[in-house]
Amino acid sequence: MSNLNSLSYFWPELILTGTVLVAIVADLFYRKEDSFKVAWWVLGGLTLTMAAIRMGGSAVTDLFMGTIALDPFAEFFKVLILLSTVLVILISFKTDELKNYSVGEYFSILAIMAFGLFLMASAIDILMVYLSIEIVSIMSFFLAGYLKKSQLSNEAALKYVLYGAFSSGIMLFGFSILFGLTGSTKFFEIRQALAGLENGANLALIISAVFILAGFGYKISAVPFHFWTPDVYEGSPTTITAYLSIAPKAAGFAMLIRFFNQVMGDGTAMINDSWSALGGLPWPQLMGVLAVATMSLGNLVAIQQNSVKRMLAYSSIAHAGYMMMGLPVMSNQGIYGIMMYLVMYLFMNLGAFFVVIYIQGKTGGESYEDFNGLGWTMPFIGVVMALFMFALTGLPPTAGFIGKFYLFAAVIEAGPQFYWLAFFGALNSVISLYYYVRVVKHMYLRGERSDDVSMPSSNLVTVLLVFLAVPSLVLGVYWEPVANWINQSLVLLSSGM
Amino acid sequence: MILDDYEVSNVIQIQINSWLIMIENYLPILIVFILAAGFVFVSLILSHFVGPRIDNKVKMMPYESGVDPVGETRIRFSIRFFLIALLFIIFDIEIVFLYPWAVVFKDFLTMGSFIFFEMVVFLFILAFGFVYVWKNGALEWE
Amino acid sequence: MITGNIITDFCLLILFLPVVAFAINIFIGKRLPRQGDWVSVGAILITLVLSLSMLMNMFMNWDPNFSHEVQFSWIDLGAFKIELGFWVDNITIVMLVVVALISSMTHIFSLEYMKGDIRYSRYYAYLGLFTFSMNGIVLANNLISMYIFWELVGVSSYLLIGHWFEKNSAANAATKAFLTNRVGDIGFFIGIMLMFTAIGSFNFQDLFSGISQGMISGQLLTLAGVGIFLGAVGKSAQFPLHIWLPDAMEGPTPVSALMHAATMVAAGVYLTVRLFPLFSPEALLIIAYVGGFTALFAATIAVTQNDIKKVLAYSTVSQLGYMILAVGVGNYVAAFFHLLTHAMFKACLFFGSGSVIHAMHHSLHELNDQDTDPQDMRNMGGFKSKLPITYWTMTIATLTIAGVPFFSGFLSKDAILAGTLAFAKHYPQHFLLPLFGFGAAAITAFYMFRLIFMTFHGEVKMPKVFKGIHESPRAMTFPLILLSSLGFFIFYTLPYFNPFSDHGWFTELIQASDSVVKGNPTAEEIYEGIHHAHYPAMALSLLVASFGIGMSILMYMKKKLSADIWAAKMGFLYKLSLNKYFFDENYNRFLYQPVLKLSQAIAFVDWDLYDKYFINGFGRVTKWLSFLTGRIDYEGLDQKLVDGVGRTAQGFGNQLKNVQTGRLQNYMLFALAGVIVIIVMQTI
Repeated sequence: MSNLNSLSYFWPELILTGTVLVAIVADLFYRKEDSFKVAWWVLGGLTLTMAAIRMGGSAVTDLFMGTIALDPFAEFFKVLILLSTVLVILISFKTDELKNYSVGEYFSILAIMAFGLFLMASAIDILMVYLSIEIVSIMSFFLAGYLKKSQLSNEAALKYVLYGAFSSGIMLFGFSILFGLTGSTKFFEIRQALAGLENGANLALIISAVFILAGFGYKISAVPFHFWTPDVYEGSPTTITAYLSIAPKAAGFAMLIRFFNQVMGDGTAMINDSWSALGGLPWPQLMGVLAVATMSLGNLVAIQQNSVKRMLAYSSIAHAGYMMMGLPVMSNQGIYGIMMYLVMYLFMNLGAFFVVIYIQGKTGGESYEDFNGLGWTMPFIGVVMALFMFALTGLPPTAGFIGKFYLFAAVIEAGPQFYWLAFFGALNSVISLYYYVRVVKHMYLRGERSDDVSMPSSNLVTVLLVFLAVPSLVLGVYWEPVANWINQSLVLLSSGM
Repeated sequence: MILDDYEVSNVIQIQINSWLIMIENYLPILIVFILAAGFVFVSLILSHFVGPRIDNKVKMMPYESGVDPVGETRIRFSIRFFLIALLFIIFDIEIVFLYPWAVVFKDFLTMGSFIFFEMVVFLFILAFGFVYVWKNGALEWE
Repeated sequence: MITGNIITDFCLLILFLPVVAFAINIFIGKRLPRQGDWVSVGAILITLVLSLSMLMNMFMNWDPNFSHEVQFSWIDLGAFKIELGFWVDNITIVMLVVVALISSMTHIFSLEYMKGDIRYSRYYAYLGLFTFSMNGIVLANNLISMYIFWELVGVSSYLLIGHWFEKNSAANAATKAFLTNRVGDIGFFIGIMLMFTAIGSFNFQDLFSGISQGMISGQLLTLAGVGIFLGAVGKSAQFPLHIWLPDAMEGPTPVSALMHAATMVAAGVYLTVRLFPLFSPEALLIIAYVGGFTALFAATIAVTQNDIKKVLAYSTVSQLGYMILAVGVGNYVAAFFHLLTHAMFKACLFFGSGSVIHAMHHSLHELNDQDTDPQDMRNMGGFKSKLPITYWTMTIATLTIAGVPFFSGFLSKDAILAGTLAFAKHYPQHFLLPLFGFGAAAITAFYMFRLIFMTFHGEVKMPKVFKGIHESPRAMTFPLILLSSLGFFIFYTLPYFNPFSDHGWFTELIQASDSVVKGNPTAEEIYEGIHHAHYPAMALSLLVASFGIGMSILMYMKKKLSADIWAAKMGFLYKLSLNKYFFDENYNRFLYQPVLKLSQAIAFVDWDLYDKYFINGFGRVTKWLSFLTGRIDYEGLDQKLVDGVGRTAQGFGNQLKNVQTGRLQNYMLFALAGVIVIIVMQTI
């Protein structure tokens, strides 16, 4: 579809752009103490964007001359991204770290990042992929280093910048090889060209696929491209850590699925329940090994951590590993499992991070010791955090169990050759129990009990935590609506125009 | 099938030949590369092993056009240069976008004034950035 | 609104408002002003308004066949589907009003009765939980939801009976109630599973159509029916699971009014009414006999009880027996009618007794008297002048329960008794059933008036206490007045005005449906039989009622006959009755103790015989072997394998932790190395 006609389908992104512009200008007119008010402009804009998405009808088409796809799949991820952005903005009101900073740009950059994530979830052209990843990355660099006065934050930002540039470089190299092989930047034309290649170009295809995987893997923190994650997550303001742990990962998975399913697949994925890569790329084994490596590394190192924030960083690596289990399968089931897991993961992970943010404000620290006795002095926090910890482990009847269930079901249904994947997945869930329950242990079995019982001092925090805790529990019992939503969203744009 | 020696060497010969035909055009580049790298390596290594080495204070001082060096070699220069350079790049790219637009402007004018307003929108968005930069004092020198 | 259908919306609100009040009160109730009672009262009043508007709607539509069912899909995995939903018909609407009305009266009554209680907000929270559970039972359209809410109601009962759990007796009573219910629920569950296995669905309509198609029949169907009925036996305190209801009087009196008089115990009757079409003739017979026997047998116990609440408790058991008896003989509409009237007058009686007890408490408190039992009727007497409103409302309720014309109880009891007569006419071998019915009616009239006379008439037994008695505050008398006025016949016979005929909105709108089991008479036939037996039953019931009331007047008001002499003459029977036929003692002797002894015996065999033998016989060999294997195990297995796994995980973690060097150059190096390794792995 030509550029001009596409604009009428592009309303959500246009509204987001407008929000950003308004937020930037608004920030200029507020004093430093009032800079939080920019958040209201951004929240308003995000709400309008959500409305635009819901009212946007259900067209399945490509936009802007084949660079962006508009389909229910992209819509699903846009909703997830918006939800996480809104929640993170809300909790930013109550975080201690951002005091004394002028936060106008913080909120505007979050909106820009949301825009970039929208593009990431919809990109079907190589250049658009690169552009969107860069938008998201650069904004994340900025946000990671937002606390100018904190050395940790600056270090995180610098490492992020350098590593991000490095990864983007490798990814671009892979893309250029692909371009050289096929002569086009658009996904569908690439697929057609690849289908017609003889096996002689095998090696080049493999190299380009691996390089591209390096770039995508960097975004979703897959092993061995995850090394930036612990340092960056630890140094960033915790609200940004929370955001990074869910939104870019979701968009990254969307991109991964789109790219490898649509481009490298031989087109049978959506019809049959199996999938094989073009050019003889041994996809299942490759992704399987990476998935196991990712989840194992995440879980094993998380055990050693003394800081809850860093533990959550490693745990998010592990969760990316679980989700990657859906990738070797890459059938409808596998993608369904990944999407289901992302929804559950949003609630439980954001919830855990929000509790850490709140505790940081209360006790000034983020280590396990700072959680001592919390279950008795702040029973609400204790219960809610315990819920999130159990959900992250994947115990029934929480939402985390349902997410893992669908992933495991997809893996097992794909055939006996994947049983080892499920085995490692289960083993890792068991290992993860240790460090998640450790938090609960510190909350309830350490520290002194006191009768000075308090609720969260801020109603906003209470409401947010309730908003995240209730689905974490209820979705473990009644997940019909989510299942229906994902079923409707499992429609990818699959032929070029 | 089992090949005897004669047949084996034949097969290898054929494979080498086909490979050579493929890269024939790029052979000069490889030779240039080897020559250049070789020149560098040989001269460095030779001078290191063969040449004499006598150090004295004067020889080890940094070169400053024959004059004795004064002050530190590392000067801190103002970060504002960096800022200006960044801003220059961004707005220069904006101008660069204007060039091809200008080239096709007249032809597209037949379809109405849309093309004009499209660029206005683009400039308008970048103007926001300009206002931001201005108000935040990035254009102040002191 | 939400679901597009106003009836469904109302039902959702009615169902969920009380549980929201529960959540609010249980978490932050203590910190709200007035401890949050207004939250619960507000929620229940809204529920009442909604139920009443549904009732109004029912009157306006005047459609006896109204039925509205809505399903929500809960789990849908393709082959396995569970759907939950509501089934609303006229019976449901009436029941909802009953629950809402009695519950709101309880909430209002408790404002005064429970004032100053140490767990005030929790009390109101649990009331909300109970209302939610009860409404769940009423609205359920399938056996699974009903079972879930059934259990929830049991839990609420446990929590509320044990409200003053510092008293051992209360805690024990709560446990007893819950466990006895559980025994009945086992049967219920077996019945549910039998039905499900045969028919493949839990939904009522599916069950009915399944049975009519013959998917389950004969003995299996009877067994399933009896199983389901066992649930009702437990919940409605029928023989032999009646033992918990008298003990449940340990709970606060408003709770007794709500749960153990009007609603929860009525759930058993409601279940049998709802599921009437699926009982086979044999099952119905069992139901009739259980109900009839309970009615008579409980009445005989109530005659001798001296605690005012215990009298009412046994009376409840007896009246419930009536309802079950009615279901058994096929006249389930009459059972439901009696449920309705019973809820009103029994709740009124309980509230009234609460008012009396409240007054006694106050008076004893002022006198600093800890020994006198405020609930013992022998300490009362002559309260008529001091508690006029309580007296008149209780008297009206007593007239209703005794079956005096112009009151609602007369109409409903009459319908039941007519049903038994009709049944006995049809099957003369079951002559015991009407005997049970009429016998119980006589005794009921007797002991109820005995209660009135002992409490309100006659000489004052304790003058000092009497001085401190005064009428209860408005919050307590208002429910009394409201409920007692609902005892008049007129509210049930509109738009007709005949006090001797139960013809009215109720009988027109609530119509019996046929049983789907072959061999059962149709609704038509049942109705015919009842119609013929109507006048004989009325005459007989008037006779026995006057006999009972007459005896009571003679013995307790005019004191022409002496209760004590009669008690002495029938010494053995009197003792049996006073000690509730030694049921609890016998259960203990023949059930609980043997089970405990059995478990002790098994423990003995296990510990003292088997273990000792084991050790003696194999001890030495084992000891030697174990020493050997112990070394292998501890050093080899434990240290290396078991601990090793844990330590490996930790060790891996430690090593891997060191991979994260913190230096960016290393990160890039590792990433590149990873890329190369992967590529190499692919090409091999």
